[in-house]
Parts: sequence; C-alpha cells; structure tokens
Amino acid sequence: MTLVHNWHLGRTMEYPYFESRPEQQFAAVFNINRCIACQTCTMAHKSTWTYSKGQEYMWWNNVETKPYGGYPQHWDQKILQMLWDNGNNPMEWYTGAEDKNETTAPYGLYNGDTIFELAQNKGLNQVAVGYIPDDKEWRFPNIYEDTAASEQTNYETGAAKESSELPEHKRWFFYLQRVCNHCTYPACLAACPRKAIYKRKEDGIVLIDQKRCRGYRKCVEQCPYKKPMYRGETRMSEKCIACYPRVEGKDPVTKGRRMEARCMAACVGKIRMNGLLSGDYKKPDPKNPLDWLVHIHKVALPLYPQFGTEPNIYYIPPRWAPRSYLRQMFGPGVDEALDKYAAPSRTLMAVLALFRASQTMIAKFEVEDGSKIYESEVMGKKVEVYNDTAIGYAADGTEIVRIQIEEPTWESDEKRMVTY
Amino acid sequence: MLRSLIRKSIFLGSAFVAMFFLCSGEVFSQSLEQEATVEENIPTEEGLTVKFVNTDLEGAADALANASAYTVNLQIQDRSFPNGGGSVSEVEVRGVHNGNDIFFGIRWSDATKNDRAIKHEQFRDAVGLMFPLGIVKISPETPFSPRMGDRGKSVNIWHWKADWERDLQADGGYEHVQDVYPDMFHDFDSDPNPCIYNKTVHDSVDLLAGGKAAGSLLSEARGRTVEDLNAVGFGTLTAQEHQDVNGTGAWVDGQWDVIVYRPLATPDANDVQFVPGKSTFFNMAVWNGEDGDRNGLKSVSIRWRPITLESTR
Repeated sequence: MTLVHNWHLGRTMEYPYFESRPEQQFAAVFNINRCIACQTCTMAHKSTWTYSKGQEYMWWNNVETKPYGGYPQHWDQKILQMLWDNGNNPMEWYTGAEDKNETTAPYGLYNGDTIFELAQNKGLNQVAVGYIPDDKEWRFPNIYEDTAASEQTNYETGAAKESSELPEHKRWFFYLQRVCNHCTYPACLAACPRKAIYKRKEDGIVLIDQKRCRGYRKCVEQCPYKKPMYRGETRMSEKCIACYPRVEGKDPVTKGRRMEARCMAACVGKIRMNGLLSGDYKKPDPKNPLDWLVHIHKVALPLYPQFGTEPNIYYIPPRWAPRSYLRQMFGPGVDEALDKYAAPSRTLMAVLALFRASQTMIAKFEVEDGSKIYESEVMGKKVEVYNDTAIGYAADGTEIVRIQIEEPTWESDEKRMVTY
Repeated sequence: MLRSLIRKSIFLGSAFVAMFFLCSGEVFSQSLEQEATVEENIPTEEGLTVKFVNTDLEGAADALANASAYTVNLQIQDRSFPNGGGSVSEVEVRGVHNGNDIFFGIRWSDATKNDRAIKHEQFRDAVGLMFPLGIVKISPETPFSPRMGDRGKSVNIWHWKADWERDLQADGGYEHVQDVYPDMFHDFDSDPNPCIYNKTVHDSVDLLAGGKAAGSLLSEARGRTVEDLNAVGFGTLTAQEHQDVNGTGAWVDGQWDVIVYRPLATPDANDVQFVPGKSTFFNMAVWNGEDGDRNGLKSVSIRWRPITLESTR
C-alpha cells in the first residue's frame, strides 16, 4: 500500500498504487432535482452496449429510487454496513475551519476507514472490502420504484401538503442516477490480481482489458458501486466504457470534437452535464463548467466519498430529502451545496442552462449579462434572476451553444385558439 | 564546484530515498508477495516416476490405473496476495508415457461438483500442473520460484477446467446463458408462445462480446478441456497462441478423476519438453469452486517435485 491524496476525504489514504492522476478526467454532474426517472439514459446505454446475449441483466447506467431501491439490490446499504460494523470511526467527518482547505480538503476531513483501509486493518485477503452480488440481487433493476420513505405512518405525517414542506419533506424519495464513476482510485482496478483493468492517462476512463480478463470477479467483488459485471456468456467481466469512442471525438456528428456519452446526451430532463475535469484538482479552471461546479462553487458532490475511491460523477443533491441521509450519501458538503442551489447565483443559473444544451462536450463557458427579470425569496433568502446569456465553447474554442436564461416565448393569436 | 556538489548530493540523496522506499516492505506489502523461503527452492526427495507403457489413448486410462500413485500434499496459498483456498489437502497423481505421448492421471476428493462458471456466484473446479520451462537445476543456490515462475524463469502451466469439460459436451462445444437460465428471456411473459424480440440483434454476440473479439479461449468453443499457459510470476498467466494439451475428466461419488495428456515433444518454444530417461520438476494446484476458489485462492504444493520419465528401452 502507498499513501495517496484523496481530496474528497481531505487527507491521504492507503491505496495499492502510487498517485497518478490523468491529464484530464472524464466526469459528469447530475442534477438530482431535475430527474423524473424516465430511464431514457438507461435505454440509451442499453441499446448501445448491452443488448447481446449474457448482458440481459446488465445496466451500466441505471436510475434507482432512494432510499429503498438499488441495483444490485441494497448495494450501498451492504457496503455502508461493512464500514459501520467493522471500520474505525465510521462516517466521522471533521468539518471545522482548521480541517478544511479550499482545494485539498473542501468538505473537511474524513476520519473513518475507507474500503481499502478497512480491508488492510482487518488483514483481509483482498484490497478492499466488498462482496459479489448473486443473480437474485441483479434482478429487478428498478425495484422499489417511487416508493417513499417516512419515519411516520401516512396518518401521522398528516396531509400531503404538510408532509411535503421544505427544507425537509416528512415523506420523501428521490432518484439516483448511477453509472461507473471512473474513480481516481478505482477499487476494481486495485482488486484485479492480473492488472487487467487500467485507467487511461488521457481522460481517466477506467477499462477492463478483455484480453487480460480471466473472469475472476475480483472487480465485481471490490467495486463498492457494483458497476463491473460478470458476463456468463463470455466468462469474463465487463463494465461501462464511458462511450470512449464518442469522448475521443470519433463520432462524425461532432466533427472530431469530444462528444458526451450516450446516457448523458440522451437525458430528456436535462439533468446531466458531461465533460472533462482539469487534471490538477488544485488548479481548477474557473471557465470549465465542471471544474466550476465541482471545485469552485462546490454545488456538485461525490457519491459516497467515504468509500475512498474518489468517484468522478458528481451530484447536485435533492433539496427535499432529509439532510442526514444526504450527508451520509454525499458527505458534509451537502448543506453548502443546497444553500447555493436553492438560491442560485447568476453564474450557477447560466451553467445550469448549459446542461444538455449540446452533445459536444463544453470545455469552457462564458456569461453575458442581461436584464433583471424576476425577484423572489427562497427560504428567507433573496433570489434575483437575470436574463443572462450562457455561451458554451468546445475544447478547440468553437462556440457551440448560446442560450438565454429566459427562454424566448411567443403567444399565438387569439383567433388561432380553438375552443369548444 | 559547490553547485556540482549540491547537485550530486541532491542526486544521491534522492537515490537513497528511492532505494529506501523500494526496499521497504511496507510500501508494497500488499502488491508484492512474501519473500521466498529456502524450503521452496529445495525440491522433494521423492517424486513421480512416469512409467513407459506401450499403450495408445484408449488404453491410457487402464495403464494409469495400474501405475503407482504419487501423493502431492497441498496447502492454502498463503504466499501472495490475494491468498486463500486450502480446502483440498492432497491430490493423487499418476504418470505413464508411450514414447510419443505423456499421460497424467489426477485424482482428488471434492464433495461438490462445480462445473459451471456462468452465474455471478459460480466458480469452477480446476486442477493445474506446472513445469519449469527448459532444463533447470533447482536448489537454494539456483532458485526457481514455485510461485508460477519468475522474470526470465518462465513456467508452463496445464490448467484443466471442469466447466470446459461441460462445455465440450454441450451443443456446439460451448454452454450459453440459456443453459443456466432457460427462461431468461421470458420469465414474466404471459404469452404461451413467447418469442425473443430482435432475435438477430440479440444473437449477434460476436458483434459486442469483448471476450470473443479479444479471441479469449474462455469465451468460445475451444474443443478441449485443458488450457496451455505460461507465466513469469503471479498475475502474469497468459494463454499460449498454440494449444497443445488435451484432457478429460469426470466427477464420480465425490471424486474428480482427470486425465491430461500431450505429446512428449512439441515444436512450441513455450512448452515444457519431456525426454524419456530424463527428469524435470512439477508442482500442482487445485481449485475448489464451491469455496469460491479462483486465481490466487487455491490449494497448492509449495515444493517442486521431481518427475522422471522411464526410458523407452
């Protein structure tokens, strides 16, 4: 084991390989608040990569209903339980000013064991704690769809209106969109005894070499997000490939420019923005929309940072879910992120407008000022909305999208209305 | 002068730090294996004698039944990460040759037959024979790692797999998902005559099967049950371009009986070559699929054992 820095945890941690960050990192921000669980992303993925024999149960992209849903079933509860039962200081974060650092420890310091540290402390015969879900657990990928959680019975929570008041709904659920996190410290990669899994230097995409894989399922066992999957038909494991031909710009539609992955580009609810993070997390580029959302504005948070893999899919947490549950899932950055999202700044409004505005990856954005169009108060905070213009550029500097906060609308002539 | 001295000291200092880290076992404690014990490089006194018997393939099983058994003691693989296994304590091996081919009869107890690796939770039973490549002398002074060889000291591994045996008996020489999940495509279909939608697309496995595209022996009918491999240490196991080893196995009453055979000499430079009247060494490993054994999780013999072929005269 070597010591590597994990900025999600705000500290160094144990990992079997040296710290070697890619030049750029494939990443995405998912705005949970906007998701309607239409599963268009899921089908876009399915129809692209996993429609063949042996892949029937495989959903590299899935959307599950939290807190009960999960694919495979209860994947996160099971890993959390391992950390909770056996780990030191489970889920313990220090979030005082002295424990934080703008770039290297933005959420504070995680004091608990990661999946790697727990395996080492316990002297286990594996790199990270984990388990192999059996075939029953891979079934029913959307089990518990739309099933709400409540600490009280429906009778006790009162009328629906009262139980659904912000900041926390008494009865709640939300959708969690999941793809491979293309982690900075992938547990699947660390677990493979054959080094058949590698992380690409140019874009941080994590791939399984099908020539080296021998179907040992160590990656399936030790990836905490359960995204490598065993394909019985070929007797080896497969995982999300981040649609790397598109990311490389091989699709002619974007004329050689980097293109968003299929599941990202298909999002109807415009909840997703896919692109590349700057390689050096200490020097985020304020003009890169993903760097800005993740590192600078800190409105998008990693999924289960306490696992220790430094995942690279970031989430804007749902406003209505209990904060304690969200802190467990996204770390202590939740409160700041939700404050910022509830009363969005002009820049945040502009960047959110760029979500799904183009399938070319947006490498740089700019905002042109517009006039004030709206004013309100949210949770005691004043919110002003301006009709600014957000402009997105591809990596080569070409302007690919220009969009206003207020969508232009036209009203039809009254004569054209048909009334019965 | 001073500048060059500073430069030199920085260079030497960093070299020292680098050496310290390289030598420190802590740094790589999990990715590297334990240091070899002296014992591992002392081959056992007794070994397997491969009788010369004038037999053909059909008569090999009888000839092996008459040959005397050599017992190889196995233990948990505790030398390298990820370690495990150890549920099989011994394996019996017999050997005969007819001047052209060498036959090994391998027998071990296994209460459960695990001859499929299609479900997530299924692992296969298997047995491996390992030989050093080339003519070698093994002693503490001239070490040869029994842990799947070492850099520049390649081993040839013959790996018999229970699921390959089952594949061979299946239609088309390969078991498919529908053999394990017959209702996979219409579990919840109330249509009494269900059909698979987009059957052509669904069956176009070649188009989108990484393992097949990569030409892995695991992923398609290979017409044999033994894989011919090379390795230069743990984690380096690689299937050969040219497969030369054949075999057959059966599980009866809690016991695997496997026969593995190959021509004594092959034109493949990556193969171990057997010469009547001469000796080499071997080691064995057994995987118990029921216990989730695969890769480093296995029962192994630690010391090399001599194997001597009777001369043909």
